[in-house]
Amino acid sequence: MHTLIKGVDMRRFLLFLGVLIFIASCKKKETYEYQITPQNLYPTNAGKVKLKTDGQYVSILYANLFQTALSSNELFRITQCIESVGDKDLVREVIISNFMNKSDVILPTNEEMRADIDAFLEATYERFYVRKMTEAERTWFRNYIESNPNVTPELVYFSFALSNEYLFY
Amino acid sequence: MKRRNFIKKAAAVTAGAFAVPYILPSGRLFASSGSQLAPHVVYVLFAGGVRQQESILQGYLDQSQGLNIPGNIMYNMLNGAPPSQKIVYGTDGLLEGDTPIPQILGQTLEQQGTLFPEVISSSAGHYGGLNALLQGNTLFTQGLKQKPINPTIFEYARRHLGLPASKVWFVGNGIGNSTPLLNYSNHPSYGADYGANFFAPTITFGQQGIDHLSNAKIYHPEEELSPIYQMKYFLDNNFRNVGGEVPGIHNTEEEKQDIKAFMEEMYIKTQNGTISHPPVTDNGDLVTVGYACEVMKWFKPNLTVINLSAVDGCHSNFTGYLGALHRADHAVGHIWNFIQTQVPEMAGNTAMIITPECGRNLMPNPIEDQNDWKAFDHSDANTRRIFTQMVGPSIPSGLRVGSETNQVGISADGAPTIAEILGFKQEIMSSGLLAGNAQSLFDRI
Repeated sequence: MHTLIKGVDMRRFLLFLGVLIFIASCKKKETYEYQITPQNLYPTNAGKVKLKTDGQYVSILYANLFQTALSSNELFRITQCIESVGDKDLVREVIISNFMNKSDVILPTNEEMRADIDAFLEATYERFYVRKMTEAERTWFRNYIESNPNVTPELVYFSFALSNEYLFY
Repeated sequence: MKRRNFIKKAAAVTAGAFAVPYILPSGRLFASSGSQLAPHVVYVLFAGGVRQQESILQGYLDQSQGLNIPGNIMYNMLNGAPPSQKIVYGTDGLLEGDTPIPQILGQTLEQQGTLFPEVISSSAGHYGGLNALLQGNTLFTQGLKQKPINPTIFEYARRHLGLPASKVWFVGNGIGNSTPLLNYSNHPSYGADYGANFFAPTITFGQQGIDHLSNAKIYHPEEELSPIYQMKYFLDNNFRNVGGEVPGIHNTEEEKQDIKAFMEEMYIKTQNGTISHPPVTDNGDLVTVGYACEVMKWFKPNLTVINLSAVDGCHSNFTGYLGALHRADHAVGHIWNFIQTQVPEMAGNTAMIITPECGRNLMPNPIEDQNDWKAFDHSDANTRRIFTQMVGPSIPSGLRVGSETNQVGISADGAPTIAEILGFKQEIMSSGLLAGNAQSLFDRI
């Protein structure tokens, strides 16, 4: 015996409702997967509290300028040279200028630097300081390079290699 | 008392206090006025552990190897005839070492100056001994690889005379035994700001230096160097905000350029063979002295300290020790002769003080050399026997103070003696940082 509610066949209604629920329940559910976009994270200069040893300084400097490792024998000899001079600032300056005099030192060209000063500065900060530059540093350096036609990548590299922050890690 | 009388008497007493000579605890009549006896001092830290028996006592083989052959092998410094037999300390002739090096000085330093033949060394070791000589203090508790804890004579001189770094030099025999650490102390009131410039010439101007320091690129001072420094100062200022200060002595930019010019000149002279070496230059001490002479000629320092060490080979080779001692004397003779003849700004107004950092043992160790002679270490009471010699303006000539039975002076006396010569004795004596019994040698005469 069929139950009628105001002319609606209750059994058909329930069947229709069941199909409706079935269809709705089969709808593909959207899922979200969260992943990490690769990022180079750098510390700030405030975290640099340890002074590099003479050996660390020389080996890192060599790697930064020549994109290759210094031999252990040369490292030992150059470290001895640093020890043999009292004014470490001075002897580092002499060592850098000796490196800069070598033909295989790898430097960007002046044209490359001036074509995109921001990119050059970002790369230089990351190479020497292993950190991002601040906006204040960007502004100062950009202005300085733009207003000084004599400034070359070599001089910029020299100043970074000679700076105090480069002596710390 | 009336006010006027009181003022009169007070003024008289005050004036009297300044005018009337007073006796100091040292026995001298007047306190040091701060006036200089000489504007330049050369301090030779002599040789690296010298036995009294072969130096002051001129025993040669007599008091070491049981051979009755005495003689003086330091005839630039000391009066006395050289040995007559078994000559092994010279240069090679028919036999190894059989040709003594000719005397450089017409008059020995003993004739020209004052000799303290029996001085007490505070240390039986090199580093402790060097610290006592340079600090005027025997509380050298720091070990190797550590900076001195009390100020060195370099720091006293720079601070109390206001000298720039390029006027105070330490020329080391090498970089071993923490020698490069001795150019300034960690003392909070002195330290790196008053440190001395330092070279270890056998390294700086040796093959390592030639390979890695001599081929520096020349930068234009205004167009290239100036931007480098401007950018560096900007970077340093930023880093200073987070506390990044680098320890070490600092020359001014002008001094740096001068030192770099000196280094370039030295590499050229080294390659040309024109360094002011002593007539015989066949060991590290003599090489060191050649460059020390160049430093004096170039910078005319107010204080030059030269460290010699070759005689320390006595640990294992007595024959070599005799040769090194003979050469150390040759080196000292050359320094004095060079100052008087090649550096007009220092000739006649330079004082030189020579003293070993420690002595050597009375009894030998078991090691025998090629002549079957026994070697000597430094650890027993004989090690505490050293000497001090000084020569120059206001230093009595031909004077001998003390004897084998009457030791006069300690190794820490060097610093206050230099202070008296350069004119800051009061400051160093009142610093409270010297050994309690350290005195200027002038006060011991």
